[in-house]
Amino acid sequence: MVRMGKNDHAAVRAILAGDKEAYGALVASHSESLFRVAFRITGNEADADDVVQEAFLRGYQKLESFERRSNFGTWIYRIAVRCALDRISAPRAESRRVAEVSDPEQAEVQVADSAASPERLLLSGEILALQKQALRNLTPMEQAAFTLRHLEDCSTEEIAAALSIAPNAAKQAVFRAVQKMRSQLAPLRMNR
Amino acid sequence: MKHLNEEELIEHYYKSNASAERHLDHCAECAAAFVALHSDLAAIEFPALPNRDAAYGERVWASISASLPRLEAPKQNRLGWRLLRGLSYASAFGLLLACAFFAGRQWEHGHQPTTTVAVKQPQSQPAAKTPERVVVVVLSDHLDRSERLLVELKHTDANSQEMINPLRDQARSLLAANQLCRRQARKQDDPALTAALDRLDQLFNQLANQPGGLTPAAITRLQDQLNSDSLLFEVRVLRSKVLDQKPAVITRSYGGTI
Repeated sequence: MVRMGKNDHAAVRAILAGDKEAYGALVASHSESLFRVAFRITGNEADADDVVQEAFLRGYQKLESFERRSNFGTWIYRIAVRCALDRISAPRAESRRVAEVSDPEQAEVQVADSAASPERLLLSGEILALQKQALRNLTPMEQAAFTLRHLEDCSTEEIAAALSIAPNAAKQAVFRAVQKMRSQLAPLRMNR
Repeated sequence: MKHLNEEELIEHYYKSNASAERHLDHCAECAAAFVALHSDLAAIEFPALPNRDAAYGERVWASISASLPRLEAPKQNRLGWRLLRGLSYASAFGLLLACAFFAGRQWEHGHQPTTTVAVKQPQSQPAAKTPERVVVVVLSDHLDRSERLLVELKHTDANSQEMINPLRDQARSLLAANQLCRRQARKQDDPALTAALDRLDQLFNQLANQPGGLTPAAITRLQDQLNSDSLLFEVRVLRSKVLDQKPAVITRSYGGTI
């Protein structure tokens, strides 16, 4: 899920002792993995960059509560997942989605058209757009759980811990997400 | 024959399950459903991950560093005080236990002869209550020690006998405590904890009692197993849960005297 940092604990001790610059080393070594999961959950590069920054800010503010025996990478990764979840749950994100769907040019490619020809559906850009829309039609929790399971290869327990929900709720979120994705992407099935 | 439902098929897709695999080998209907599921999920494409160069982390740091306050000494002191307070509670608890234990022993020594003389009961009178040997195992400590062992195993050099021998010794010392915790977890009907402790038990047994000793191949196999089944993560999650609760103390009584 995240790489281990042998010097992470030493850096945390230094920061808590007043050495702010030591946090730079942690930021440098964990930014890439945070960006990866943030982009996969938000689906947007700019949002992912914001999530990375927000996660490190939150992490710094909560650093005193960091359990020193824990792994810093796992801890900050979970914070990033929650920031990304907040981001896709925010009304701003919702209104952006509505705006995008109401854009007639985009609506053409985002909405599954049952009358579309197989040739048209085969265009990979449109398939991607349809899949992106199917992902967006999931609830934020389902979207995050599905992404963590499908792309980040997290176990049910890891998803539950990252999203602060019970393992069974995490399992159900993945299950509902897969069901919805399959249902919405059914038009593509006949063209494969 | 009971067919696999969609939830079970999805579970199997993400985490291969031996019993589901056996069922799929013999049930054409479920096998077809699984192939369809596999095909649907495999066909989902995601936007390519934008490239972030090696300097990305430095840019993130540059963008946030100005807004971060320096953590001040009083905060560290508060942390120190919290730690100190926690330690003092733990010490007081330990002292209380020790006092209760010695008081019990003193009371018993003081009362046994007195009872015999004053009442003059025959030898057949039921003996004074036998002191029990109390083994107190703090679950969080056990999980903590187990986690450290797993981390060491994960990063150990399979070819270094100097690193392997201490691992075997630690596994042996953890086995007994793990069995106590397993029994208690079963009594408390805690399936997550029981499952994790069962897996720890298997791992400790393999480390402690590997026939022919711990060869580099055996260590590599255990490391692969550890990397693939997320046991370390589970232990961490359980330990953080335990730490969030009150100290979980498992008390186990054995007959016999000290």
